[in-house]
Amino acid sequence: MAVLALENLTYSYPDESKPALDQINLSIQEGEFVLIVGGSGSGKSSLVRAMTGLIPDFYGGRIRGSVKLDSEELTGMGKARVIQKVGMVFQDPESQLVMTNVEQELAFGMENLGLSAELMKRRIMEVSSALSLQPFLHNDISSLSGGLKQKVVLASILAMQPDILILDEPTSQLDPVAGEEILTIIRRLNEENGLTVILIEQRLERCFHLADRILFMEQGRIVHDSINRQEAVRWAAVHNNPFIPPVARLFAKTGAAEIPMTVKEGRKLLKTSSLSREQGLIKETSEGDDPPAKRSEILLDVEKLWFSYNGGTEVLKNINLTIHPADFLAIMGENAAGKTTLLKNLQGLLRPSRGKIKLADQDMNNFPVEALAGTIGYLAQNPNDYLFQPTVQDEIVFTRHNLGLKNCSRVDELLEKLALTSHAETNPRDLSTGERQRVALASILAAEPKLILLDEPTRGLDYEMKACLGKLLQKLQQEGQAIIVVTHDMEFAAEYAPEIILMSQGQIISRGSKSEMLSRSTFYSSQVSKLFHNIDDRIVTFQEGEKALQKYQRNRRDDVCGDH
Amino acid sequence: MLAYKQQKKLFHSLRCEVALCYIASLILLSLLFSHPLFLLALFMALNMVILSAGIALEWLSYLKFSLLLIFLITLVNSLFVRAGATILFRGPHLPIIGTIRVTLESLCFSAGMGIRLLVILGAFCLFTYAVSPDKVLKILGGRGSKTMLALSLSLRLFPLLVDDFARITEAQRCRGVSFQTRNRRQRFEKYIPILNTLLLSSLERSFQLAESLQSRGFGIAKRSSYREELWRPRDVLVLLSTVPGIALGVALALNGWAGYRYYPSLQPIEGLEMMMSAFLGLFFIFPALLNWGWEKWQFLRLKI
Repeated sequence: MAVLALENLTYSYPDESKPALDQINLSIQEGEFVLIVGGSGSGKSSLVRAMTGLIPDFYGGRIRGSVKLDSEELTGMGKARVIQKVGMVFQDPESQLVMTNVEQELAFGMENLGLSAELMKRRIMEVSSALSLQPFLHNDISSLSGGLKQKVVLASILAMQPDILILDEPTSQLDPVAGEEILTIIRRLNEENGLTVILIEQRLERCFHLADRILFMEQGRIVHDSINRQEAVRWAAVHNNPFIPPVARLFAKTGAAEIPMTVKEGRKLLKTSSLSREQGLIKETSEGDDPPAKRSEILLDVEKLWFSYNGGTEVLKNINLTIHPADFLAIMGENAAGKTTLLKNLQGLLRPSRGKIKLADQDMNNFPVEALAGTIGYLAQNPNDYLFQPTVQDEIVFTRHNLGLKNCSRVDELLEKLALTSHAETNPRDLSTGERQRVALASILAAEPKLILLDEPTRGLDYEMKACLGKLLQKLQQEGQAIIVVTHDMEFAAEYAPEIILMSQGQIISRGSKSEMLSRSTFYSSQVSKLFHNIDDRIVTFQEGEKALQKYQRNRRDDVCGDH
Repeated sequence: MLAYKQQKKLFHSLRCEVALCYIASLILLSLLFSHPLFLLALFMALNMVILSAGIALEWLSYLKFSLLLIFLITLVNSLFVRAGATILFRGPHLPIIGTIRVTLESLCFSAGMGIRLLVILGAFCLFTYAVSPDKVLKILGGRGSKTMLALSLSLRLFPLLVDDFARITEAQRCRGVSFQTRNRRQRFEKYIPILNTLLLSSLERSFQLAESLQSRGFGIAKRSSYREELWRPRDVLVLLSTVPGIALGVALALNGWAGYRYYPSLQPIEGLEMMMSAFLGLFFIFPALLNWGWEKWQFLRLKI
């Protein structure tokens, strides 16, 4: 029996003529794991909000059609019953937590339902054990990491014991390790408890293989609904839909008969080939992969940099780093490795405790941050921190005005370069996450910096937006601007950054080309390099993987012909 | 209330009612007594409890502010109060004020009032840093009060707002905005975009929070209340020292021990007064002694 059924559902937000949901027909069975994928503005979030009644109760607007929970119209059910049946976890844990203490937060939803203290106590015990939150029960929420906060949100929803769990990009604000943990919990809840899960997620390489059913959305419609993952990938490949995991996309693009969903499956397929390791797959393609020859000119020189915050803990230890014009570096490493602190030191927002940073042979200590804005641009994790002007164009003009840059034609150039011309007169806060990111970047690029520092720029972006950002950064690099990106996103670093720096415990562990750094590694490698690990360790990017796979398929065909 | 941090100290682990009872008793007695010896005893006891609660650094910042205030009280008192027989300093004649005349009695009166102020501020310091605001709100708000929710949210969101402010300021500086100008008006104008960004981000966050509240059923029915606080021997022990302490204080006040004559000349202090004030102080120093024993002896830690 369908636990959730949507029939001819059409919905428009207030003051919007175009429907956000257009003729949705969907029936979800008990215990299903449904993955909803699609680009920004495709209607994913609106769809799940309609399933919980938030649309139209909270958002208003015009709605037609019906939403049924266990064959009962959602509109006819009492709110308490809806909430007990459907629980929802949103993107940002900071915007969901209410109380200051973990235990009280877990009780909050149950208190709203008027449950007895005894029952609440039991459920808190259950969810905190299941999600390993017991040691944190009496902790302040503010002392928890982002991953733990999202776990608390999830636990507080589970304590209300819903039949259906809806998650709207629950890992988008988390680092990969924390995100992985949340997805593992969700999988366990579905497999071991039979909980119906409806998940919107961008990290498809982590969850695509878990889904029983995949819904592809575009412009408010479900354009494809599949219970067969292979079929779903093939459909996406044919329709140029980017919302499939890299490994699956790689095999689908080369027309492989069998499409793996995970690295494990992919490697199994490759190992069955007669290809020997010595033959190599992409000898010809991996040559010339090294980063471009360094220019002799030094843009930024970091010498024996040490940094401690007021508490005295050493966050950066003996950092030596040279940046040339047109360098494109990705800094990677575990949480609290000192990556963001290093960026802030390079920007001048923090000053070294010991050591020197020289900008074009001049000690940076002699310049305040404001004076460096024209040379070094810094884009922090949250693009919203940069957006306050009434229009996109005004954001760019604001920076130029501060720095006394008069040439107005550069504003139009910048809008065009960042594909923002059509949004020039739009309020930046009305734009999507990816577009906001581009506006914030434009506000930094408006200063015409020689060095651009970006801190986790792919957080919350989908595959399409990441590709857009990556290509833009490559274009800037070609124009001679040096770029340093701090990221946890292996795929992004592998695809776009020619050089990688690995940091750990405040130190630079190593620096080298991406083929050197991201291959032959168990954890710090892209899905593609994991796929070809010990087969051809020089393969790192998607393009290299594609060529290698094509060669592999040619080899197989030749083998088959030879046998005949 | 925005600065509470969980610590492994005895005072932090007390039931909220017990901690509040202790703090309220101190405030009440400091208002009841004007005798400097009793006030000093309460102040010393409170200092010990603050030290034992691990919030000495926070208390120091309170002390700096308090000492400034006490200095002002002393200054005003010395300038305007003409009472007191023991003249320490006679200054020039000033218009309106008259002849400056600093007496020992007026200085002692200022010191006495200063100690009272320190006790009250110390009690608030203890309340701010060692009592969980969530628990206080639970007690004050009862079941499902919207005020309680608003207060709780403010407590949670205020630190986020402070972080936002710091980050947005950094973002502005990276766009070439300098806040170093001496002109106050210009500086204020430069902060407007920051406040604007802060407001916009806060509005977006509050919208998301409201959505989350609705999806978790806030306001759909009469709320129940979850309180998971157990009575431990330490709560009883602290109560057993606080209640007799307040009883002794009230009894002393009723028998005329609370007052003290500063003018025209200082009332002599008797041995019995010293003994009684030390006795009163002992009742209120008890949580500190208990904490140190609790930290030092595992046996005590296991038993209370």
